[in-house]
Amino acid sequence: MNALPNPLAQREWQRDDGQAVAAAGGDQLARRLARRYGDRITGAFVLPGREGRYAPLPGDMPPALAQALRCRGIEQLYDHQARAWEATAAGEHVVIATPTASGKSLCYTLPVISAAIRQRAKALYLFPTKALAQDQVAELLELNQAGQLGVKAFTFDGDTPGDARQAIRLHGDIVVSNPDMLHQAILPHHTKWAQFFENLAFVVIDEVHTYRGVFGSHVANVLRRLQRVCAFYGVSPQFILCSATIGNPAEHASALIEQPVTAITDSGAPMGEKHVLLWNPPVVNPDLGLRASARSQSNRIARTAIRAGLKTLVFAQSRLMVEVLTKYLKDVFDSDPRKPPRIRAYRGGYLPTERRAAEREMRAGQVDGIVSTSALELGVDIGALDVVVLNGYPGSVAATWQRFGRAGRRQQASLGVLVASSDPLDQYLVRHPEFFQGASPEHARIAPDQPLILLDHIRCAAFELPFDDGGLFGPQDATPWLRVLAEEGVLHQENSRFEWIADSYPANAVSLRSVADGNFVVVDRTGGRQTIVAEVDFSAAALTLYEGAIHMVQSAPYQVEKLDWDGRKAYVTRTQVDYYTDAIDYTRLKVLEAFDGSPAGAGSAHHGEVHVARRVAGYKKIRYYTHENIGYGPVNLPDLELHTTAVWWQLPQRALEQAFDHRQQALDGFLAAAHALHIVATVAVMAEARDLQKAVGSGDGAWFATPDANGRAQLRSGMSDADAIAHGPFIPTLYLYDAFPGGVGLSAPLYERREDLVRLARELVQRCDCRHGCPACVGPVLAADERGEHSLKSLATRVLDLIAAL
Amino acid sequence: MNALADKLRGLRRQAGVTVAAPARRPEPLADNLRALLGVRQRATHPTQRKAMEPAALPGHCIAPGLQLSESLGDWPPMPAAFDAGFARVAGTIAPERLLLFDTETTGLAGGTGTRAFMIGVADWHGGRFRERQLLITTLAGEAAMLDCFAAWLRPDSVLVSYNGKSYDAPLLKTRFRLHQRACPLDGLAHIDLLHPVRRRWRGVWENCRLATAERQLLRVVREDDLPGSEAPAAWLGYLRGGASGPLHRVARHNSQDLRSLGGILCHFAQGAEA
Repeated sequence: MNALPNPLAQREWQRDDGQAVAAAGGDQLARRLARRYGDRITGAFVLPGREGRYAPLPGDMPPALAQALRCRGIEQLYDHQARAWEATAAGEHVVIATPTASGKSLCYTLPVISAAIRQRAKALYLFPTKALAQDQVAELLELNQAGQLGVKAFTFDGDTPGDARQAIRLHGDIVVSNPDMLHQAILPHHTKWAQFFENLAFVVIDEVHTYRGVFGSHVANVLRRLQRVCAFYGVSPQFILCSATIGNPAEHASALIEQPVTAITDSGAPMGEKHVLLWNPPVVNPDLGLRASARSQSNRIARTAIRAGLKTLVFAQSRLMVEVLTKYLKDVFDSDPRKPPRIRAYRGGYLPTERRAAEREMRAGQVDGIVSTSALELGVDIGALDVVVLNGYPGSVAATWQRFGRAGRRQQASLGVLVASSDPLDQYLVRHPEFFQGASPEHARIAPDQPLILLDHIRCAAFELPFDDGGLFGPQDATPWLRVLAEEGVLHQENSRFEWIADSYPANAVSLRSVADGNFVVVDRTGGRQTIVAEVDFSAAALTLYEGAIHMVQSAPYQVEKLDWDGRKAYVTRTQVDYYTDAIDYTRLKVLEAFDGSPAGAGSAHHGEVHVARRVAGYKKIRYYTHENIGYGPVNLPDLELHTTAVWWQLPQRALEQAFDHRQQALDGFLAAAHALHIVATVAVMAEARDLQKAVGSGDGAWFATPDANGRAQLRSGMSDADAIAHGPFIPTLYLYDAFPGGVGLSAPLYERREDLVRLARELVQRCDCRHGCPACVGPVLAADERGEHSLKSLATRVLDLIAAL
Repeated sequence: MNALADKLRGLRRQAGVTVAAPARRPEPLADNLRALLGVRQRATHPTQRKAMEPAALPGHCIAPGLQLSESLGDWPPMPAAFDAGFARVAGTIAPERLLLFDTETTGLAGGTGTRAFMIGVADWHGGRFRERQLLITTLAGEAAMLDCFAAWLRPDSVLVSYNGKSYDAPLLKTRFRLHQRACPLDGLAHIDLLHPVRRRWRGVWENCRLATAERQLLRVVREDDLPGSEAPAAWLGYLRGGASGPLHRVARHNSQDLRSLGGILCHFAQGAEA
């Protein structure tokens, strides 16, 4: 509700405007930066400002609510809020996907409070974080107080004391919780919530763009369980969802709740002009493609902005980076201890009271510079800002826009600057300004029918209510899964019913953030400590937790001293080293079944099921900045197996013989092309780089290729170190595969976009500033490895040209 | 179907889950016996086994899947009317209103997935201690068990239990709710003896479990008692086609719980005779 046209906000703005320094807006700063640092700016564009579009308060709103709004200074609604009101009044499920601070929360608050006043109808709110839930309840209480509406709103999360829970279940009109609590505490105890469910009219799910991938697939299943429990109590609540800007809000919302959803995407909130700069730190070593640090650039931009009197927010990727950047800025602006501090840090790990104080100071305009982690990305209200600096790409275009959305005043231009780090993804994005223009290209994807996730939730659902033979779970016939669970002994089949019979509480064993529960915990033993500092997915453990590995936690290096494979524990100690480690892994893929295939240039592209066998044979120590290989270590871990889905490209021998002098060249090209395709594919499906993996081998699993220390392909036929010569037809295959057993739906959208991907990968390689190849395009190469037209860069281009659609 | 099971097992192994040995087939002997006797899957013919082994189960069948055992005894003797202030229940209580209960459940996990397979109830009927035990032999018998139990309660009944306020009563409430029935326990006075026992003997005895209280206060020593924790396995074993013998031990265990409950109540009531 922070962006409402209320008189308080107007006054605040006028006061800002009254200050002489604030006359220079984000537009002037953008122009100044462009003049001074033109060579660092890879993209600059302006989103025009927009007048607000308003609508009167709906006449069919309960008078007490209208009165409460007026008391809070809200005399009219934005156009999109009014449309949300109409759509919910018509009984539709709605998703609202408008920019940050456009007043999304009022879209659901109004129908929910109206229904609570009129019919004592109940509502369940789900937020991804506790902080947001608390903010929401605070807002609801203020509105409630303003109009003496008598609506009771409570948070219900892990911190809620036991004696308060009973009261919340019975008396809460609005219960504000999160998906994990719904999954582990509410649904498995739904009978205690019977009164609540019997009167449940609305389910509000905010920040649905965060529910994607594995987490989103779990949440979709939790919502299936919720709807199943609702049906038991004879209700079918209306869903109101909110999302940051993503490419497919209606489709994504509809995939989550498995019902048709009306999308409201056009914001009626006024917005000042918004300038965006994409910033690449200057190259300091062109041979290695090495650039100045993002930190130094972010610091410089923030300093300039604050000096110009602009309220500035810097987003950093880690807590450590927040502290470092805060220190740098404080050294400049807070040198006089007698004056109130102008720079503030904001991150998770602070106490709630500390956070509230920081938010208050920011809203009151007492702070000139804030450095934050993603904690401020979601809807915490901190008032209006002029400049947002992103120290590194936050991982998705949607998150980038959401963070930029933090800057923006109604009648003054704002500025957002994305400073690229040396990470390949950052480098890719900063060189493709087109990604940041127009609508966001990213689509949030989920795979709710992923077999292991589905099994977990059918297990939980059977605990909550028995299944009948042929019963549905979502759109799925649950019967075969129920039989599997009956065979396991947790369900008992009697006549046509499957009932829970085991003495266990299945929701406790299901984490919404991983596929199945084989996670490793990372235990810090520094100085006799014995604390868990991280959790690592089973599938990533062998690649990141081998003994000797440097494991980064919150950008602090830890060294793995002992790995207890069966106990799923890695023991680490804090360390200070100037290198990181990279696993040498041998991955062999075999195609089990092709679901689909099509020609791709001179070759073909396919989508299907694959078997992956992977061994981590050792690791490399690589020095920071120079990327020198400074040593090796052995690893002795069990082989990993994976049935998953993949997309792959193949070229026939004939095409290869024409394009390459010999097989080595072709393989080098394939590995380099795989590196580039992996980068663009990761962006395309909004995946974490480790959730999507790449490999090069033959289609039948007879051999595979791995890069050697020089980035050149080495051919292997077995899991041993011995080089092998490939016999039979030579059909190199480039795979991108989903790193979870059973897949989580990453490969199907990649197959759909296969032509785009190849085109984007070609552009990535061609436009890269390096000479012969670098980690940002085709993978690391040695500085000495300059072979002109046989450079990895040119070989990769040749392969990509061959598989590009003509 | 088996293909799916195999695939899931494979995927779970790949995801790092330690997969339990598939398909616990308990009591292979019974399975073999059934095969020898040509009896088809019990699930599809639930009545057949009952016809075959009518004497094997405790009590007699009063509804499909529901057994009732009744007995009368002289211990514990009926207390006089007493003031239940020791249990923080107001007023003088006539012993005829008392209804002692104790459930045997499929486990301690809590939530909607745990059920009572036996409800033991005791009262003083015509001056003698009457025990009635309801036991379900199929999952489908649960509704009839709940209805039967509800029929024994009167609006002025005073419930007596050991830890029943936090365990047995909420669990039954959940079961009534799942069967879409009103919960007959709501609104009834409830003397949960665990609390007065704790108030008086916490820190004096090694713990305040029922077994400790009965030994300390009543000098009860159990013989061949089935530990409460083994009750779920006994019932599950039977449900999956196993022997009915262990169910008798469960019934004896539950019966002793009821008598001890009565005895402990008398202990308090004597100190508080009206």
